[in-house]
Amino acid sequence: MNDTGTAPAGGSADRGGDTPAIRTSGLTKRYGADVLAVDDLDLEVRVGEVFGFLGPNGAGKSTTIDVVMDYVRPTAGSATVLGFDAQADTREIHERVGILPDGYGLYDRLSGRKHLTYAIDLKGADDDPGELLARVGLDAAAADRAVGGYSKGMTQRLALALALVGEPDLLILDEPSSGLDPNGVRLVREIVRDQADRGKTVFFSSHILSQVEAVCDRVAILNEGRLVAVDTIDGLRDTLGTGATVTLTVDDVPETLSLGEIPGVTTVTTDGRTVTVIVQDPEAKVAVVDRIREDGAAVLDISIDESSLEDLFTAYTGNAPPGVESDDAPQGSESGDSPQGSESGEVAR
Amino acid sequence: MTWPTIARKEFADALGSRMLWAIVAIIAVMTSLSAALSLLVPELEGGAETAIGGASQFAGLLVPIMALIAAYLAIAGERESGSLKVLLGLPPSRGEVLVGKFFGRSGVVAVGLGLGFAVSGVVTLAVYGTLPLTAFVGTTALTAFLGVAFVGIAVGISALTATRARAMTLAVSAYLGLTLLWDLVPNGVHLLVTGEMPGQVVPAWLLLLQGLSPTGAYNALAQALLLGSEVAVEARIGGPAPVYLHPGVFLAILLAWTVLPLVVGYLGFRRADLS
Repeated sequence: MNDTGTAPAGGSADRGGDTPAIRTSGLTKRYGADVLAVDDLDLEVRVGEVFGFLGPNGAGKSTTIDVVMDYVRPTAGSATVLGFDAQADTREIHERVGILPDGYGLYDRLSGRKHLTYAIDLKGADDDPGELLARVGLDAAAADRAVGGYSKGMTQRLALALALVGEPDLLILDEPSSGLDPNGVRLVREIVRDQADRGKTVFFSSHILSQVEAVCDRVAILNEGRLVAVDTIDGLRDTLGTGATVTLTVDDVPETLSLGEIPGVTTVTTDGRTVTVIVQDPEAKVAVVDRIREDGAAVLDISIDESSLEDLFTAYTGNAPPGVESDDAPQGSESGDSPQGSESGEVAR
Repeated sequence: MTWPTIARKEFADALGSRMLWAIVAIIAVMTSLSAALSLLVPELEGGAETAIGGASQFAGLLVPIMALIAAYLAIAGERESGSLKVLLGLPPSRGEVLVGKFFGRSGVVAVGLGLGFAVSGVVTLAVYGTLPLTAFVGTTALTAFLGVAFVGIAVGISALTATRARAMTLAVSAYLGLTLLWDLVPNGVHLLVTGEMPGQVVPAWLLLLQGLSPTGAYNALAQALLLGSEVAVEARIGGPAPVYLHPGVFLAILLAWTVLPLVVGYLGFRRADLS
């Protein structure tokens, strides 16, 4: 029965040097006549990297993953995974990939452990369920209970363990932190880093920027089904040029404020005793402090905010039509605890 | 090959959910009752064979609905809950999922029917002091085949539908159409062709029309088994039986009702978008 062999170890197509972990070309998915979920997407995820897939709810992230996993068929274009065609070679792909899908469900009557043995059997793997449970922090007692009684967090941990069955070369996580408490969020991060340390590829979608920022080598930003940026976090920062914001509290704002003359300073605003300076050049920060003291002010307090990915994200997707913005609203908290169906149907063109 | 793993899990689930035991209990009680009917109504004549015939009449109505209930959510339920995404994220293909579901649920229905009939066999033996083994085993096997055919129909329906509600609608329609309303078709055709309702002696083609539904084919086969294939037909049509009323034809019809819905279900499921 084990004719699938020990699939991942000797994986064929993914060892061919520069074969990407995921490649989509011209990928387009239309639902009905007027919903364009993914629009001509060209994306390449390299083997061994942790890749963040970022965008507001309804941007087309899950639809892209659905095509990669062959849950849906593309309207146009194609996708390959580890060198295999996503539509024709699903078995080869699914033997080498672990997936935490969007809007997944589990079997209420089955225990956590039975879920794992089922997945291990189907994947022809030889994992120890106890080890997988330990990796996701589910204790043995919980693992022997029926999943119907699990909390959202426990369910999510089990689903992560299922994704890890068979040492996948590529781990795809669609909004993995939804429904998780801070410990769970940290766990996801550890698992991602752990996979990366083992030389595996991780493809990680999220609308929560801090999570992507913390673990990803590169990110893609998707908006309205279109790719708007692909780069490292630093690269994106450089491209966009949003630097740091220096906020100074002074005893008295000097009349001759010459901060604007410093190279690398783009904006200076004052409000009462607070001076806010935006700098593009890191060295300009010290110069700002020196100059304001030369101008005659005593500095009482300084704070510096590096531009966050949040700023970048807003810059890229900020002009999104109201429809996209409002998709976040019904989800309540930013943890977005309802992953179901969030990706289809919103991006009307 | 992953479908045996899926089929095994389906079977184990049915044990856990007591579905199997419900089938055993219902079939055992109903067929035993009909076998023991001659004790309750002493005017009724007949021996153990008539008792088995009565049990098969009951089964012809009960088994389709039980098989449909046992399998109509096999795929649609997983699709609605999202567990299908987890399952299809693993190596099994959609075809293997469909085949595994079909064999797993068929096993549940067939084993349940077998155990239920075993109980009624004991009752028949107790009541009549004898059990015609060929007729009894044959009827049990035929009934299991009818159950499997309706599992095929149910899994086909389940593969074509995205929600539980829609699967339920189609399953109920299939039951009404194939089991209860089908008999209207031959009668209606007879009325159109001859201008009157069928009488005691009917044209041979009417028996074929009746036997085109899975339950009709099952009834034709059960009668052929209990009365002898020639006798059952010739008494109805008042003459020699044409080739197309051979039991093999009805076996083929039952087999077609098992396989075709699965094929149609697969063709729809293969292309379906699962989100």
